Amino acid sequence: MIDLDLRAPLDRHPATVLPDWIDWNGHMNVGYYVVAFDKATDTLCQQFGCGWEYTRDKIGMTFVLEAHVTYDREVKEGDGLRITTQILDHDAKRLHFIHMMYHATEGYLAATNELMLMNIDYQTRRSAPWPDFAMERIGKLAAAHATLPRPAQAGRLIGIKKK
Amino acid sequence: MLQSLPYELPELITRAPLDTHRSTVIPEWVDWNGHMNVAFYVAAFDQASGAFMRNMGLGRRYVDGKLGMTFVLETHVTYDREVREGAPLRFTTQLLARDAKKVHLFHEMYHAEQDYLAATNETIVMNIDYETRRSGPWPVPVTERLDAIWETHKLLPKPAKAGRVMGLSRR
Repeated sequence: MIDLDLRAPLDRHPATVLPDWIDWNGHMNVGYYVVAFDKATDTLCQQFGCGWEYTRDKIGMTFVLEAHVTYDREVKEGDGLRITTQILDHDAKRLHFIHMMYHATEGYLAATNELMLMNIDYQTRRSAPWPDFAMERIGKLAAAHATLPRPAQAGRLIGIKKK
Repeated sequence: MLQSLPYELPELITRAPLDTHRSTVIPEWVDWNGHMNVAFYVAAFDQASGAFMRNMGLGRRYVDGKLGMTFVLETHVTYDREVREGAPLRFTTQLLARDAKKVHLFHEMYHAEQDYLAATNETIVMNIDYETRRSGPWPVPVTERLDAIWETHKLLPKPAKAGRVMGLSRR
């Protein structure tokens, strides 16, 4: 397992907007923001030993239960991105966190993605407690992230404001 | 504000919810867990938003004609059950609210044969001025269509999964 990175927020996920991610509006399509965020989720899960090897080796899986995305600003083909991740909460089998996507060179916030992730038993494909090795590391990460302010984009309710 | 649109609009469907959109889980949408990846649920729902937009009079010709665009501001997805490669999908779309330049939509995705709910997507879509790439009011014919659609959609009950705030519920 890789060394635990307790810098808060987790800030080790660069990405680049690929040509396939662009739609007829000439910017990254809404679905591909989530593709980019899902790869950052794997970077987070690597921290506690539940990245893709966890599934490859048939130990377990992680499923997303719920997601919330705010699209804050456009990004274009070839743009460099930087995705940071903050753990908000966790329990015996779930993890609640938020990713922030920044334009890597211009620094602006492009989007956020709040997620609820659940550990899954490989055989039954049903929810199960995090393995001990994961729980120990999640606890350390959560403690390190607990010092961060809660982002304004977390816990949002969708709606059109009445004027 | 555009007073008219320079193309023929499709026949207006006011049936509520809108239930015309169909899709199939293609191989590219499947991930290492052997099911449709979270991101491609959003891509599939985006196509359902496109179907709703076409019914409003805003299809590809709206963008290609450099008249305007529609951007998603925010989206919320509940992942209710897995779907596998090749699974046929059907969607329903309910208009929850609208104003001069935005619509608030609620999609449900069902397995078309087994009929279970696979996911829901609540989303806000905004009209964009083509030149400025900033928000602008809907074209007049679109507002008229939205008003007609709202007359039937407003009678539907609010979906149980609309208006969710994420968090761990403590027992």
